[in-house]
Amino acid sequence: MPDLPLSGIRVCDLTWVIAGPTATRVLADFGADVIRVEHGQAVDPIRLGRPLNADKPTLNNSGFFNYFNRNKRSILLNVRHPLGMELLHKLIAASDVVIENFSSGVLDSWELSYEAQKAINPGIIYCSISGYGHNGRDKHFTTWGPTAQALSGLTMMSGLAGEPPAGWGYSYMDHTAGYYGAIAIMMALHHKNLTGEGQHIDISQVEAGMILAGPAILDFTVNGRSFRRPGMPPGNHAWEPAMAPHNTYRCRGEDRWVAIAVRNDAEWQAMARAMGDPDWAADAKFATLAGRLANQDELDAQISAWSSSRDDYAVMATLQAGGVPAGVCQSPGDRVENDEQFRARGWWSTMPHPEMGDESQFDGVAPRLSATPGTNRTASPLIGEHTFQIMAEVLGLTDDEIAEHEAMGVFM
Amino acid sequence: MSGPLEGLRVVELCDQLGQLAGKLLADMGADVVKVEPAEGSGARAVGPFVDDVAGPNRSLNFWYHNTNKRSVVLDLVTEAGATAWKELVAKADIVIDDRPPRWLDDHGLGYSQLSEGHAALLWCSITPFGETGPWANYQATDMVGLALGGPMKMNGYDQDDVPGAPPIRGLGDQGYNTACHYAVQGVLAALLYRDKTGLGQHVDASMHEALSSTTEVGLPYWFTRRTNVTRQTGRHAAAQRTEPWLHMANDGQHTLIFGVGRDNATWTKIKRWWQESGFGQQLDEARFDDPAARQPGRGSPEAAEVMNVLSAFIGAHTAEEVYRGGQERRQSWGVVRAPDEAIQDPHWSDRGFWAEVTGEGRDAPVRLPGAPYQFSATPWALRRPAPKLGEHTAEVISEWLGR
Repeated sequence: MPDLPLSGIRVCDLTWVIAGPTATRVLADFGADVIRVEHGQAVDPIRLGRPLNADKPTLNNSGFFNYFNRNKRSILLNVRHPLGMELLHKLIAASDVVIENFSSGVLDSWELSYEAQKAINPGIIYCSISGYGHNGRDKHFTTWGPTAQALSGLTMMSGLAGEPPAGWGYSYMDHTAGYYGAIAIMMALHHKNLTGEGQHIDISQVEAGMILAGPAILDFTVNGRSFRRPGMPPGNHAWEPAMAPHNTYRCRGEDRWVAIAVRNDAEWQAMARAMGDPDWAADAKFATLAGRLANQDELDAQISAWSSSRDDYAVMATLQAGGVPAGVCQSPGDRVENDEQFRARGWWSTMPHPEMGDESQFDGVAPRLSATPGTNRTASPLIGEHTFQIMAEVLGLTDDEIAEHEAMGVFM
Repeated sequence: MSGPLEGLRVVELCDQLGQLAGKLLADMGADVVKVEPAEGSGARAVGPFVDDVAGPNRSLNFWYHNTNKRSVVLDLVTEAGATAWKELVAKADIVIDDRPPRWLDDHGLGYSQLSEGHAALLWCSITPFGETGPWANYQATDMVGLALGGPMKMNGYDQDDVPGAPPIRGLGDQGYNTACHYAVQGVLAALLYRDKTGLGQHVDASMHEALSSTTEVGLPYWFTRRTNVTRQTGRHAAAQRTEPWLHMANDGQHTLIFGVGRDNATWTKIKRWWQESGFGQQLDEARFDDPAARQPGRGSPEAAEVMNVLSAFIGAHTAEEVYRGGQERRQSWGVVRAPDEAIQDPHWSDRGFWAEVTGEGRDAPVRLPGAPYQFSATPWALRRPAPKLGEHTAEVISEWLGR
């Protein structure tokens, strides 16, 4: 196996659901040996999560789980058994990183606070991801991705004025809290490379969401203007910077849309040319940004009338040929089947999986490193697939010891 | 120690697309020098502005995304500017740019030329679609990125709620943000490789690939079932219609309710709470005792009745009461806040989340979000606010180039 950026880094992965596994997916893609510690009595619910590759869940046939857990290994470990906890201590001693995304307080109840982990492994990097963080008066509160999106303002920042929030159609903050987890761990690994020192990294999913709303928060603290005001959010019209036209426009077919953003007068002129210089577009009231903003509804109606009889990819190609930012609102199927850019860059691949099929599908590793790119090496692990392998190779247990532990119910 | 990246020198040539990447490195201790043209980075022209008066040092977008950086003005298309650029890059550990693909290489100022004799150089180019492929030179804004990358098609409304509503873009330049999250992951992975080998490399960071990798069940549904999930009002896009998550409280604010009493211990607490204020006396009937029957996804009459009681209860309370009351009873419920409303919530002050800056037009410190992580050994610090245009040109030339 080629040397990857994180080859030689071992991660004791206590995470579940999405935020934590997103962080460890990044580390695994770049070569870390990520060992998922799983529990038969409290399985990761994503192992049961739709879409399934069959009618009923088996713990090993979820497409949802497969996507977030590629390149990792899995052990089953009963941490309620004293010998199971002893093995977890050994795994922590053999790891560079411990990561978990339980509610705050869970690892303390396992007697595995950062101080306790440090006693086992002085250089350990311990990353916790929770809704509210491990300190502060509401640290016992809990979140899912959508809760964090609501509390941080991101839900309100998505929608049509006068309607309820549209919010985010997926757990954007599970992804993003996971990204910050991976970023923080890699920063801490660099610091450890220089000094040998480990540390605790505490991430709050709601704070990570607030990080993504900085300018709106400053508009309040500097100008006293809350985002909660008439006309906000402005749908797909631009907030800052001001642009017009800037919207989604219906195209031919069912629920087909193209997003068009005109940044300046030159792009507006290019767009008019691309549309065949219709008479309405020559109206002087559309010549300047101020005029286009003042007459935005009429502008949108005219563009929709032009686009609605046309194919969305053709509209995009026509406008892009004139240098105008335009893009189809692509569905997942569009991305996989119709997107020329992804196809040309070899973005989709397959890996075999016993229950997901010989050709279970995956996307690539972003971003692309020229010398040591991240790789897809294995599909997601079956639950407990690597228990015996890791007990022998990583923790040094003999065959007899493994058999004894198994008989005592440690590997479940 | 002011952060885990102390000692690293970074040159950043970024506008709106890439500026968060530089901030994430600068905030954690790297010495980030932002190279700008004489008129300033394009982000300096992005509002909102202090007192709504435009000016290169008054953009709050720029204030936010450029904390802890220093500003150096160089005109790259002049010989003097190009020379200074090359000299700065020669002293840098990392370069981050968001110029159009190949623009710097075509001007003799890119990775292909400047990595010559500088094997440790690590260079990340952030672009809308990546450096290769048929769309490499396509134009994109944040919204166009979110459209093609997939997020928009998953955000929006039930067609019954808002007939004809389009896919919706969430605000806050989340396309740029996600591009930068991936760019920084790549930079740090490459940095760890450099730590062990001394070798740098180039990182091709595509916003399109980053966004497509950030749509949760969207791709798994296609990969596994060849099904497209459909957008729904204020909740996850799904293969089947699901029950609403947003419920309006009596103060006109929305609560976000994601599951109700999944186990009987919490269900009992929730039920008592509702009943104490006169709602849902019938929930004591045995038919509500099965946790599965209560969950909206099951479509049972019990689930529908629980949702009706819940809606009535919420409609008689403030959103904050529902949120806190639910959380105190172990429900992961939320309230839909404006981003600025979190400032009123003391929990985040307890954690020391907020930072403060001053800037043109504001001599008294104003709050802004701090860092997305707390490091115990190498904590973040706000060492300086976003730089004024060209504020550090002489200082950096002297410090880095010794003249």
